[in-house]
Amino acid sequence: MKTIAKLFTVTAALAMTTALPVAADTSGKSIALSNNYAGNSWRQAMLESWSKVTGAAVADGVVKAADAFTTSENQATEQAAQIQNMILQGYDAIVLNAASPTAINGAVKEACDAGITVVSFDGIVTEPCAWRIAVDFKQMGRNQVKYLAERYPDGGNLLEIRGLAGVFVDDEISAGIHEEVANTNFEIVGSVHGDWAQDVAQKAVAGILPSLPELTAVVTQGGDGYGAAQAIAAANRPTPTIVMGNRQDELAWWAEQKAANGYETTSLSIAPGVSTLAFWVAQQILDGADVPKDLTVPFLTIEQDGLEAALETTPVGSVANVEYSLEDAKAVIDASQ
Amino acid sequence: MSGLSQKPWIWSYLAALAAFGATMIVSGGQGGGSLFFAALTFASFAVIVGVGQMFVITLGPGNVDLSIPATMTLAATLALKFMDTNTSLMLPGLLIALGTGTACGIFNFGLILLLRIPPIIATLSSSFLFQSLAIWSNRGLRIKPPEPLADFATGGLVIPNLALVAIGVAVVAWIVLERAIVGRWILATGQNMRAAQLSGVPVNGVRFGVYVASAILASLSGFLLANFSGGANLNMGAEYMLTSIAVVVIGGSSIAGGNSNVPGVCGAALFMFLLVSMLNSYGFGAGARLILTGVIIMMVVVFASKRKYAA
Repeated sequence: MKTIAKLFTVTAALAMTTALPVAADTSGKSIALSNNYAGNSWRQAMLESWSKVTGAAVADGVVKAADAFTTSENQATEQAAQIQNMILQGYDAIVLNAASPTAINGAVKEACDAGITVVSFDGIVTEPCAWRIAVDFKQMGRNQVKYLAERYPDGGNLLEIRGLAGVFVDDEISAGIHEEVANTNFEIVGSVHGDWAQDVAQKAVAGILPSLPELTAVVTQGGDGYGAAQAIAAANRPTPTIVMGNRQDELAWWAEQKAANGYETTSLSIAPGVSTLAFWVAQQILDGADVPKDLTVPFLTIEQDGLEAALETTPVGSVANVEYSLEDAKAVIDASQ
Repeated sequence: MSGLSQKPWIWSYLAALAAFGATMIVSGGQGGGSLFFAALTFASFAVIVGVGQMFVITLGPGNVDLSIPATMTLAATLALKFMDTNTSLMLPGLLIALGTGTACGIFNFGLILLLRIPPIIATLSSSFLFQSLAIWSNRGLRIKPPEPLADFATGGLVIPNLALVAIGVAVVAWIVLERAIVGRWILATGQNMRAAQLSGVPVNGVRFGVYVASAILASLSGFLLANFSGGANLNMGAEYMLTSIAVVVIGGSSIAGGNSNVPGVCGAALFMFLLVSMLNSYGFGAGARLILTGVIIMMVVVFASKRKYAA
């Protein structure tokens, strides 16, 4: 996926060599990151990618400043106040991972009215004046089942591990899984909430396992595959095909099983570096580029063959990541036009 | 009047048994052993933090330790980072976890006594500090525990090793509460702090000991949980905020303080795990599951408190 994007951008860059010196136009602009939550490894990696990429961009004079701010309580009201402060501080653009798709629309509108470019990503906002770099969560669910249907055309029993009850992302991924399962011979025999955390998933799976028949596969939402594997091993059951979510401990476990008995599965999630994609998109908008309001984040999928390479570049205890460049951002923009 | 049916804690065990039976009905009697083993394992974490919370709640209205999740996370994060999968550092790692817990407890009580901040506010605000320290110290990276510790935490012969630790904690807590002078002091402080003080109970010493003990037990539970689940998570303690309070109340201890029991905490911890397992096994959706969890917990609490006043 990455190489295709690269090829694409090389041609794109060749085609518009005359328009290349764009950096000068945004060198006086400052961009702020408004982030609602930092309490897990994915968000920590997201913030780290942000500071790495934007730090270099500031040093190169592409933008004047790119400061990151995180609210402590993951509350929409708190984030709305944070955005209002950013308006007063005079930022030119706000890159936003929102606590709620609707609850901070008021503050976002105020920012737009003040002439500020607002780019939301991952946790997007519905306010029409803002840009959205959205994840197709339904497709994420569908892709898992599609992979499994290819491996097991005859179907079998599925255990579904969901995320945090009541959250939009959880409903979307689960809906995608259920829609696709309807087209296959699979049956979902159990469903638990793992809250996207290994220890919670481990506990929930250990509790439901005794009442389940033999499992063919486990569909997940990310951050729960390793916990499921632990719970199934503790119950002395045969290991089903567990779809992973790009966490390093999941990949390490997979590599261990692959070496021991040729275990096969797939792993997909969104790279935390999507924050850097949002940064470049905001930079492009400030630069006067014509950017559609709705963009889609590419998935980061790790296949059986790419496992070792992905594991090597993922820091221990973190999550597989890709940082996006200006060229990647242009490719994503072009792809949606 | 001291028959078994008059004990407030008996209801949590009956409820746990009923939930176990109901799960076995849906599974057709399959997997009873592994469900029992899993229940003992996961109840252990709740028992260890629950005992600490029980002592705090015993101190009377307004006393509750909301920093338990953050203390668990901080202790586990620092200990696992220090050990860094190194087998020779296991004991120092445990000491670092317990030392972190001690420091957290002293800090909490410092806020309560010296700055006169109400315990709920004090422990809530200190938990932000502990959580931030945990984030700052390791940026959310999950470091694996040393192999022998992971084996210990996930292993066991007839009953899980963790359950042995939890039973040990519970027995010591029972002796302290029911058979030691300190236990009388804690109960007296909870029933009427002024009266206790006038009758010569070192009230501030008692409160200090209880808050520090609660934080140490939280750090022990966090350390074990991280070893059990393959590393410390920044949000690993989150669910123990409510669980630690729920097991105390369901176990038949008075939420107003001054009247607590240890066996109830253990029964309630088993019940909390088995209840969720039962509802999952019956295939209830998240909404129905949460409603049923609330209704069933309320029923158990009503039964437990009715019996207490009848006695």
